[in-house]
Amino acid sequence: MTPPPVPPSGQNATPNPPPAGAGSHSGPEGIGDRFRLLLGQPERFGRSLEGSGSSSLMTALLATALLGAVLYGLVVGSFAGGVQWWAAPLKIAAGLSLSAILCLPSLYVFSCLTGQEIRIRDLSSVVAGMLALDVVLLASLAPIAWIFSQSTSSVAAMGFIHLVLWFVASGFGFRLLTRALPGAPGRNNPALHVWCALFLLVSLQMMTTLRPLVGTAETLLPTEKRFFMQHWGKTMSESE
Amino acid sequence: MNPPTSLAEHLGRLPRLLGGDPAAARQWMAAGPKVWLLTSLLWIGVGAGLYGAALGTWRAPMQAVFNGIKFPLILLLTAVGNSFFNALLAPLLGIQIGWRESLASVLLSFNLLSAILAAFSPLTLFLVWNLPGPDSGWNATQDAYATILVSQSVLIAFAGIVANLHLLRVLTSLAGSPAPARRLLIAWLAANLVMGTQLSWIARPFFGRPNQAVQFLRDDALRGNFFEAFFLSTSRLFRSDDKTTPHSP
Repeated sequence: MTPPPVPPSGQNATPNPPPAGAGSHSGPEGIGDRFRLLLGQPERFGRSLEGSGSSSLMTALLATALLGAVLYGLVVGSFAGGVQWWAAPLKIAAGLSLSAILCLPSLYVFSCLTGQEIRIRDLSSVVAGMLALDVVLLASLAPIAWIFSQSTSSVAAMGFIHLVLWFVASGFGFRLLTRALPGAPGRNNPALHVWCALFLLVSLQMMTTLRPLVGTAETLLPTEKRFFMQHWGKTMSESE
Repeated sequence: MNPPTSLAEHLGRLPRLLGGDPAAARQWMAAGPKVWLLTSLLWIGVGAGLYGAALGTWRAPMQAVFNGIKFPLILLLTAVGNSFFNALLAPLLGIQIGWRESLASVLLSFNLLSAILAAFSPLTLFLVWNLPGPDSGWNATQDAYATILVSQSVLIAFAGIVANLHLLRVLTSLAGSPAPARRLLIAWLAANLVMGTQLSWIARPFFGRPNQAVQFLRDDALRGNFFEAFFLSTSRLFRSDDKTTPHSP
């Protein structure tokens, strides 16, 4: 029986593991590269998470999401000024984080139901990526929101503009999510589309729960519970 | 796939079970009553308990505690109470499995149901928290009650359909062909429906009426049954007179 070859002195018996996302995926090496994948190649972003120790990436994505939410929140708060300068950024950052936390368990179950074997950590990274993309897009749209906020005094009109921008940003976020989930591409996965609708619903209700964001009120948080459709209906009728 | 050896490994197989992998399901069932009873106690106890508690918060914190106990109990008692009948049905309808396998199959589907409900319990809690409370006046309370009823019926139906589709896969792999598996699933569903609805009727209230005290079981818990109340409600809908009398579900 031939003995196995002994590695030369100073070398490991096993080769050094390739950097996260490299190797068979010929993927990126750093966090910056992953961000580029987030924007342009969601499938590769998803694959780069598989088996990699993605804690630094997750931290970077969450930090980006929080920073972007604060930046966009400043623009939202600039409409009313006063206490909203700090309340709106805080509420938007907290609202997005809470929405993601509330919806993460159901996303995990939906992923399992469709036969994807995915670790909760990788799933969290994809959701963090979705949030980061959402708020980066929102932050890039902030100048548009700011211009409108300077030219109107209508809370309903400003609320509508923020809503449209949120729909645009979350649409791209959902595109990332359905393509980046490791295991199987979810582009034609009805369960993931249902989850996206659920997340959108929760985020809208969360912002209603944390109102006011655009206008002002006597209290920092609402004293009356309302469904978001009911709240918008009331806001619209008050502006007429 | 190597069979799991410890309880922790069995618990970790939940994603595979949720994915409808019949091999994982059969491994779980083959592990023996000790493993599947313990895992079921954990999954159903925690999963259905969390969901029940989330739902109960609408009425009062104590109702949440009561629901957290009652929901898992209903599922476990349904599975155990029907186990002998279910075991007899299996060979009668063409699947040669014993009492253990039939109980394990039903428990597996309840485990999946509980896992799905548990995953949605944060959203249920968020929904309930956003609704007007039971002391917000008649109209607001009725709207909130209707919202809970409709949304949770959809959720439970979804979880139930998924759990039963998975059970069908397991039964098909046990039977070797889909026809007897379908027959047995329908028969089990009918039996579990009768037992489950009546246990739920006895275990009411889950939401509780604002004018009644929060309690684990009603004083008249064993009076009447779900089907009788359903029949009376349906006939009331088609009756032209006496519609102003307050209905007491």
